[in-house]
Amino acid sequence: MPQVIQTQNLSRRFGEGDTLVRAVENVSLTIDSGEFTALIGPSGSGKSTLLHLIGGLDIPHEGSVKLSGVDIASISGAALSDFRRDHIGFIFQSYNLIPVLTAEENIEYVMLLQNVAAGERKTRVSEMLELVGLSGLGHRRPPELSGGQQQRVAVARAMASQPDIILADEPTANLDSKTGATLLDVMRELNQSLGVTFVFSTHDQMIMDRAKRLVHLRDGEIELDELRESVAT
Amino acid sequence: MLTFRLAVRNLFRNTRRTILTMMMIGFSVSALILVDAITQGMLRSLTDTFTKTLTGEAQVLRAGYSESFDVDLYISNVSDVEALLSRDAAIAATSPRVVTGGMIASSYNVISGMTHGIDPLKETDVSRLDEALVAGEFLRGSPLEILIGTGMQEILEVDLGDRIVVTTAAADTGELTQALFRVSGIFQFGIRGMDDSFAFINIADAQSMLSMNDAAHQIIVQFRDPDTANLPLQLATDLSDWEQTEIYSWMTLNREIASMLEMSSIGTVILGSILFLLVSFGVVNSMFMSVYERIYEIGVIKAVGTRPFEIIRLILTEAFVLGFASCLFGGLLASLVGFATADSGIPLGQYEVSGVALNEAILPVLTPSQFVTYPIYTTLLTMLAAVYPAVYASRIAPSEALRKSL
Ligand SMILES: Nc1ncnc2c1ncn2[C@@H]1O[C@H](COP(=O)(O)OP(=O)(O)OP(=O)(O)O)[C@@H](O)[C@H]1O
Ligand SMILES: [Mg+2]
Repeated sequence: MPQVIQTQNLSRRFGEGDTLVRAVENVSLTIDSGEFTALIGPSGSGKSTLLHLIGGLDIPHEGSVKLSGVDIASISGAALSDFRRDHIGFIFQSYNLIPVLTAEENIEYVMLLQNVAAGERKTRVSEMLELVGLSGLGHRRPPELSGGQQQRVAVARAMASQPDIILADEPTANLDSKTGATLLDVMRELNQSLGVTFVFSTHDQMIMDRAKRLVHLRDGEIELDELRESVAT
Repeated sequence: MLTFRLAVRNLFRNTRRTILTMMMIGFSVSALILVDAITQGMLRSLTDTFTKTLTGEAQVLRAGYSESFDVDLYISNVSDVEALLSRDAAIAATSPRVVTGGMIASSYNVISGMTHGIDPLKETDVSRLDEALVAGEFLRGSPLEILIGTGMQEILEVDLGDRIVVTTAAADTGELTQALFRVSGIFQFGIRGMDDSFAFINIADAQSMLSMNDAAHQIIVQFRDPDTANLPLQLATDLSDWEQTEIYSWMTLNREIASMLEMSSIGTVILGSILFLLVSFGVVNSMFMSVYERIYEIGVIKAVGTRPFEIIRLILTEAFVLGFASCLFGGLLASLVGFATADSGIPLGQYEVSGVALNEAILPVLTPSQFVTYPIYTTLLTMLAAVYPAVYASRIAPSEALRKSL
């Protein structure tokens, strides 16, 4: 299995002196293609910061991030934007979508940035809507969709650009646990059938039970890297 | 295309703010257009006061005549000069005048005045003297005819048909000369100086009084396009070899009016700058508010791969749509006001310009160029004002923006 994510001694701090926070400290983590990994840990343990560093949204003080073999510290500006566009899919806790665009247009958005041909965009949009179970709702705008449906549109958008990895920062935090579990099942289904690599953070027990690999964070450091045999459904 | 669609929809997220901003920009555009139209209207009526009453659009004079009004400074070969002028494509009509100061007396009173000898047929092509007549008839070329103003009529206590004696000095010799006339018409320009002291007689009478044969002091020139009178005067005909005569634009002959015309365009520029400044502050404010409200969203779209330049383009497109729509509204408003006042004009009360009292309502002069220039400037300015918010938005760090919970 090729390594899609490789971080080496990654550190990111905020503030200084008395207010210094070591949000991510000396994290070396390798994730292979096709993995379904959960970052877990209490609030403030550094999950979001680590995901942002991996996704090239933030710059580490020390260490490096390699995505599909590319050191992302070596790219910046428009090239970094393009790298994210083509290699990474993002799903955030909430308000992932552009509220003035319909579900379809949101899914199309990154493909438009990528200059994917119109016909291809159309095919992929309906494909993705079907995969996340939202066929027929493509014309709705985000305010007309439930929280769970909005998150599924976000998953569809992340998938549509055909990235190497999808990073999801607490994608279920704003959903009730049943809806959250359903979203996780959708993600895992995509992971298993299409082999998409997922890294997501959570502190919901029911959600982490669905992950094969659990990376425990505490005070910015990896406390435990756990591979599990049996996974809940 | 996506950018445009997004821009339009984003503008209508906060409809009230967008409409308020649009009204501010739109009112400014219509104010610019209307102020320009009114200024042009005022200038036109002012210009008409000079060019269409007596001065004409230009005059051929001997050098020094305009300062001294010396009766000896006459043009002797009037018909030759007129023939020359008639060959200039820019010139529509010419008319010679003899001008002399002197005493004008009735049986009751005497005043000093300016007597003009005119060619009644040609004069109607270059001035509105015939239209200013309030009683009697215009000159027909018969002997003894004289036109006087309403002011002079009061002072001399005369009426149509009454006798008037004009006393003046002949050209060259300076000998006193006198002639008797009968009042054939009364005119009123509404300009005191003219109504009180100007009189008009047939040019032949004037020439024989002053013993100057076929000569004249002024040849009034009417152009095909009134703008030809704008300074500097550019004409194919050069008369400098001709007894040191020259063609003077009415603007040269009325320096203070000409400089006032120049000032008024500076006024429009100043007003325009103030309005543009207000518009920019409004646009910066409105665009910044809309960017601030969307920081999280901008963080998301940057995270998923939107380039900084694409963010700038989006915000500038929003500004463009805002500016363009506002200008449509402003242009419509200006043309409505323009149409509503096209016939009656805008009454501004009586105003005075270097001793000339004007009190006609101002007819706004609306031109297509006003509806193109000001909207283009304003739309560009709106986009310019949005550059700062746009650059700000493009520099938002996604990781920071995404920490801002809504
Ligand atoms: N921009 C910042 N400025 C200051 N401190 C920050 C900043 N970003 C993160 N931190 C701090 O870094 C630590 C890690 O934060 P992070 O958001 O990564 O935690 P988390 O595990 O995602 O928490 P949560 O579960 O609440 O989302 C926290 O103590 C946080 O206060
Ligand atoms: Mg977090």
